[in-house]
Amino acid sequence: MQDHDYRVVGKPVPRIDGRVKVTGTATFADDLFMPRMLHGKLLRSPYAHAKIKHIDTSKAEKLPGVRAVITGKDFPGIVVGFMKQYADRPPIAFDKVRHYGETVAAVAAEDEDTAEDALDLIEVTYEELPPVLNWEEALKEGAPLVHEHAKNNIGTTCKFEYGDVDEAFKTCDYVLEKKLATQRVAIGFIEPHAALAKVDGSGRILFQGSKQSPYITWRHLAWGLGLPLDKIRIVNPYIGGAFSGKHEALDLDFCAVRLAQKTKRPVKIVVNQEDIIGTYRQRHEKHVWLKAGIKKDGTLVAMDCKYISDGGAYLSVAALNLYLFGLFNALPFRVPNVRYDATRVYTNLPVCGAVRGQSQVIAGYVFNAMIDMLAKDLGMDPLEVMRKNIVKQGETLPSGSKISSTGLEKAIDKVVDVIGWKEKQAKKVPNRGIGFACGAQISGCRMGGHFASSAVVKIGEDGTVQLIHGGTELGQGCDTVFAQMTAEVLGVNFEDVQIEMEDSHDGVLDSGMFGDRCTTWSGNAVIAAAEDAKRKLAEVAADMLEAKAEDLVFRDRKIYAKDTPEQSISFLRAVRNAYYGVGKSLYGSGSWSFPGAEIADFSQGYCEKFTPSFSFVAQAVEVEVDPETGKVTLLNSVAADDCGRPINPLLVEGQMDGGSAHMIGQALYEISLYNKKGVPLTGSMRTYKIPTALDVPKLRNHHVLVHDPLGPFGAKGAGETCTTAIMAAIRNAIEDAVGVRLVEPPFTPEKVFEALRAKKEGKK
Amino acid sequence: MKKYPSVRRLPKFDYVAPQTLKEAVDFLSKHQKAAAPLAGGTDLLLNMKRRAVVPQYLVALKNIPEVDAITYKKDQGLRIGALATIHAVETSPEVKRGYPILSQAAATLGSIQIRNLGTVVGNVCSALPSADMVPSLVALGAQVKIINRAEEKLMPVEDFITNVGKTVLAEDELVQELLVPPLPSRGGGTYIKYAQRGAKALGICNVATWIALDQDTCTEARICLGAVGQTPIRAVEAESILKGNPFTPETVKAAAQKASEEARPRSSPLRGSAEYRKTTVGALTERALLSSRAQIE
Repeated sequence: MQDHDYRVVGKPVPRIDGRVKVTGTATFADDLFMPRMLHGKLLRSPYAHAKIKHIDTSKAEKLPGVRAVITGKDFPGIVVGFMKQYADRPPIAFDKVRHYGETVAAVAAEDEDTAEDALDLIEVTYEELPPVLNWEEALKEGAPLVHEHAKNNIGTTCKFEYGDVDEAFKTCDYVLEKKLATQRVAIGFIEPHAALAKVDGSGRILFQGSKQSPYITWRHLAWGLGLPLDKIRIVNPYIGGAFSGKHEALDLDFCAVRLAQKTKRPVKIVVNQEDIIGTYRQRHEKHVWLKAGIKKDGTLVAMDCKYISDGGAYLSVAALNLYLFGLFNALPFRVPNVRYDATRVYTNLPVCGAVRGQSQVIAGYVFNAMIDMLAKDLGMDPLEVMRKNIVKQGETLPSGSKISSTGLEKAIDKVVDVIGWKEKQAKKVPNRGIGFACGAQISGCRMGGHFASSAVVKIGEDGTVQLIHGGTELGQGCDTVFAQMTAEVLGVNFEDVQIEMEDSHDGVLDSGMFGDRCTTWSGNAVIAAAEDAKRKLAEVAADMLEAKAEDLVFRDRKIYAKDTPEQSISFLRAVRNAYYGVGKSLYGSGSWSFPGAEIADFSQGYCEKFTPSFSFVAQAVEVEVDPETGKVTLLNSVAADDCGRPINPLLVEGQMDGGSAHMIGQALYEISLYNKKGVPLTGSMRTYKIPTALDVPKLRNHHVLVHDPLGPFGAKGAGETCTTAIMAAIRNAIEDAVGVRLVEPPFTPEKVFEALRAKKEGKK
Repeated sequence: MKKYPSVRRLPKFDYVAPQTLKEAVDFLSKHQKAAAPLAGGTDLLLNMKRRAVVPQYLVALKNIPEVDAITYKKDQGLRIGALATIHAVETSPEVKRGYPILSQAAATLGSIQIRNLGTVVGNVCSALPSADMVPSLVALGAQVKIINRAEEKLMPVEDFITNVGKTVLAEDELVQELLVPPLPSRGGGTYIKYAQRGAKALGICNVATWIALDQDTCTEARICLGAVGQTPIRAVEAESILKGNPFTPETVKAAAQKASEEARPRSSPLRGSAEYRKTTVGALTERALLSSRAQIE
């Protein structure tokens, strides 16, 4: 099909779930209610580090209205985690608490008030232990251990080297060494964690929660509860955002199920945002010692990267986090010689896991900042150094992946032009500056175990199409995109396609929604399923049209042979004939996995078939700095992305706006702080400063259209890519504006002010 | 044992809604500590959810006629009733015309949802150092009208607030309204809220200034600093540099410097170091004074 032939793909159609959501009729987990449903509440640790000596639940159990109380003893010997080899987390604390707010017991009662009152009656005897609250303390000899098995509090490490780093540095004209750090941040989805579990008389569990990748939760629950997969059915209601904070089965998920098993009644648990912001999943605090070498002409040659990541009480996906940072830390730039040495440290703080963009967000920040500083030190235009070193189409990265397509060069041209770099550089306004950065992200990868995607397309007797896919609609828009793909393949209208939410019983297998994989992997599966259904219908239509099935064109709800478009039959007529006349069901199924996909081996920094494609973004940000207060105001942001072919440009732009706003938060405002006892200081929406609409400047978005050979209709991932550049662009813009070199976000007014003062005093 | 402090569901309470101020005051007088007056509830209900206060009775004022009124009389000035919302003050034509600084301050408070519920009197009675309405009210010389069973009394807002979350209000008393005096024609005022984020923000420091001029001589200067002490702080020494003297860039700078010295912020991981906050008080006081000046003529 030629570009201009697409009827639905590439069009900015409104979201398929738009009406349901704006009318408030979308059902989220906390909206669910079941007959005889009980309400669960979680008792949390007031200590960051303590032994649990004894828990007395007897008083709570006697409170009228209380139906069950559980503790760590109800999950005997169970330890779960992101993968078996990284399992270190009991569903709720067993003999020890490792961070403030960790769940130690749970109650199910007739109403929420009773459940809360019961929490007050649970008597926990703790023996307080000294907490370790940062990586430096944690690594000291003799520091208290968060986990007895982890010596020096080292959770996991990752090391590898490409090229010959020592030799390469000798050839450099300039080498810069810099320590950069990024702060621990909360995630900030709008819908809180919620779980509803029901157990029927046969022991089969129905679980409905706010989960990002229900199949991950499903496996974790089965693993943690010691049940076969078929004993658990997961149905996802609508999800109000997740940003990778809702993959794993969490305390509330395990407790809802266990309490439901114990009481033989449905149990719902909803966690409030104040607990979530301060004590649930966060982004790692990352410390990066970077040494980078460059030639006089701006060619990047070598990099030595030491990396320590402070990740809290349990590992979650830390191993993957370290691995990805090592694999792609220079991306989208070419650095042939890289040494990488990373350590993930346990501390008595809430758990850091994946957050939108994973490592790539921080890698993008660190490396773009470094290039900017290298260029400025050499008196070169940072933009030219970036341009000189970006990876090109067909190029193979040192870590083995091949760049199947890239529109980054055009994206850079676009943002330079739209932000008005040349004009503004010539007429510089005091205290104003422009910064650039380039980012990239994989389009999913195979981490081990099951990673394919699958889909089912059912054509109904009324000519409408039901699509079942294994991606998860979190608000990012995949349902809309997949409906567009389905409609395009079957030649029906967008409105003809319907999607229901995820269901592990009726649905199909998928690995989940992360790492910018959904559009590519699930999208290709959707296309395969639609093609399969189309083939079945084509056989019926071919008889009706007296043509060959392979010659048929499906378009505008009509079917015709490609050479005789005037002799068409309607799609509906063919469908009816299939069901009523021929007696043939029109079910199509399809699946997709990146051909030859290798399982990521975290000990090896080399993987040729890691990801099907990379998507890219270039971003320019203009800031103004108030020299008297240090406050940074964002004036303008221009981003141009290459997500292959945007299946729905409107949704991609929504992602780009959201991605920018998300990382404006980490660049300027957000930080998770804890006091000396590990108690959150920023545990509310008031103290934890996610940017508001007033803090986001005009965001201008552009697309560079590229056709990726493996992408569905040429598409690649988009939702994480767009978060990878802006943080560095803001940093670089501040340096351009006032000449101060900040490296540790958030760039608060005070930090900027102090840097300005130091600069002034240095000059004196 | 220290319990995990979390936001809980509301504790149980009885709700009463008297028809008159007298009934309300009688009820408060009878139940004292056990009763709490309910206006917008944006602070009270959250404090109850945190179990910081657990009143047995909430005394809603909303059935009392006229208690949400905002009225202006040339000779008496502006009256803001106990239930007048922050949004109502923000958008009131009388306030915008006669006391634009109040409308401006109201627009910086919380978010639109909070402004729709919260009241100006409630903001004063909660007595938080960062209360956005207070510095401007103090700069305008506003008074609170307190009633109890025996009497009505007037008191300047700055004397009414005594410490973090503390006022002179007794348990059997209510604030009926705020009175803002009529202003001389050659006067101008500005409120600057300085925070990291554009809404729902904790002030790093807040400054309200109000000045009046006769020719170029400053006849009245009131500077109130918010969020940099246990109560809003009148920068009286800074005021005295301006008052009675020509209003010049030099006197403004000197007054701003003095205001910075009068601020008493603490270092806070959320709001910044004491030193930084004092510095910004100076910069913002200067801006507020110049902006106040610009409103005259």
